[in-house]
Amino acid sequence: MSNNGFEPRIIGFLCNWCTYSAADTAGVSRMEQPPNVDIIRVMCSGRVDPVFILKAFAEGADGVIVSGCHPPGDCHYDSGNYKTFRRMPLVEALLAQYGIEKERFHWGWISGAEAPEWAKLVREFTAQVHALGPLDWKRELESKED
Amino acid sequence: MMRGDMYLAWSPDKEILEQAECGGAVTSLLKFALESKQVDAVLAIKARDGNRYDGIPVLITDPQEMIGAAGALHSASPNIARFVKEYLDGASDLKIAVTCRPCDAKAIIELAKREQINLDNLVLVGLNCTGTLPPVAAQKMFKEEFGINPADVVSEDIEDGKLIVRLKDGTERERNLAELEASSIEQGYGRRENCRRCETSIPTMADLACGKWGVVDRKATFIEVCSEKGSALIDGAIEAGSILVEQPDDEAVEIRRREYEAATELARKWQERDFAPFKAMNLDERFDYWFGQFSQCIKCFGCRDACPICYCEACWLEADRGFVLGGEIPPDAMWPMVRAVHVMDSCVNCGQCQDACSMNLPLSRFIFMLSKEIGDIFKYEPGMDVSALPPCRIVTDEELSIGGVELVF
Repeated sequence: MSNNGFEPRIIGFLCNWCTYSAADTAGVSRMEQPPNVDIIRVMCSGRVDPVFILKAFAEGADGVIVSGCHPPGDCHYDSGNYKTFRRMPLVEALLAQYGIEKERFHWGWISGAEAPEWAKLVREFTAQVHALGPLDWKRELESKED
Repeated sequence: MMRGDMYLAWSPDKEILEQAECGGAVTSLLKFALESKQVDAVLAIKARDGNRYDGIPVLITDPQEMIGAAGALHSASPNIARFVKEYLDGASDLKIAVTCRPCDAKAIIELAKREQINLDNLVLVGLNCTGTLPPVAAQKMFKEEFGINPADVVSEDIEDGKLIVRLKDGTERERNLAELEASSIEQGYGRRENCRRCETSIPTMADLACGKWGVVDRKATFIEVCSEKGSALIDGAIEAGSILVEQPDDEAVEIRRREYEAATELARKWQERDFAPFKAMNLDERFDYWFGQFSQCIKCFGCRDACPICYCEACWLEADRGFVLGGEIPPDAMWPMVRAVHVMDSCVNCGQCQDACSMNLPLSRFIFMLSKEIGDIFKYEPGMDVSALPPCRIVTDEELSIGGVELVF
């Protein structure tokens, strides 16, 4: 299977106060990153319902990132990141059962001061998803209906 | 009487004793609850027009009518928790005694956690349960496996691993339950699929747990007191002479424990058997299997409407929310995924979703399997304790001191 022409489409749900801020700094500082991550800014990673991640895959994403403020204590809204902490295992369990590789989904914490961490994540995660190939959820479904 | 106390109880009323499943204690307790005005109404199951395969929930307010609901109907599986929430306003303004199987009680407790049912207005009279039979398959099973006319059945029982039916003419027929179920996967004879997997045969999460395990060669009901409320009800009934009680001896308690363990053991075997094929599949096979299954979904909303955990007024599955497009059949695989990921932390294995599914998709099997995995991670068992909030709503002290992404429980 040749992946050479394939550019992964990755959706990142980033919390406004930490990871989005890091991503912004990484961009302004011209840190080297591939352009594959489309960022959706949420005010808190706790806003991310597991369904958003599934919807991203359904609409054509090959990989999804969710990133927020470090526990304990960094969350701008006190405990929003703990909600994230509880929900992400649900998504992992569901994706595992549905046969979607767990390497397509990354969640974690990156603070506003960690711009290099963000750039590194983008580089590594893009390569990881690139190696897996396209997810092509809708196309798989169509071929089943034939 | 205190929580944990156990009693053998029976009704002094001859008529109730005759119609009753065990000792008529439940019927008499409920009659007493109505007569003493401790409750405004009783929610029970009754055979509509005497048809044992058509069990419907009934709200009884006249104590004299209580006897009409005596006797256990094994071929009925109404959605009691949903009934209380939707049609009885979540018991917000009516005191109700509810006869419930463990799954009903668990579902009610989960809804109470979400403030959809007012537990203060309910008395949960739990009934031991090793499973109910799907009504249509049961009638077919009686005809083809047992060689009898389904209309001749006057009572069914699951005892010592056997399904026993008693007929109008006084005779009995029996089959080994595990063998019957294992050899008739296609036809679905025996208990409902989720019932086979259920480890909660004794409803200790209710106010009282009533059943026949531990009762040998007599008409009596074994009652375990599970809460202060249950204790108060039974004390009052004894004082009023509505039920008679005696202490069970050690042997009775031991018999009950053994039956419980045997039922739990069989349930675990069924869980393994049901989940093994999925766990054995590799990623590609899982993708093909589940996407294939869910491409049959016709978006009838049956599962969403039936599920007790699905209580949201503004449901994410409605077209106006933007996650599942309107007018698209089959719906995108998002449909079952949204359902799964929203209820999997609290699935009580009631099986109502799979019963409701027009396309016979293995919904309960899928979601309960995920729920067990999540339960292991979060150390959470849905439906057992109303004060144990669902994992997504709480933060533990240990978590408040971590800094990474490893879960600590």
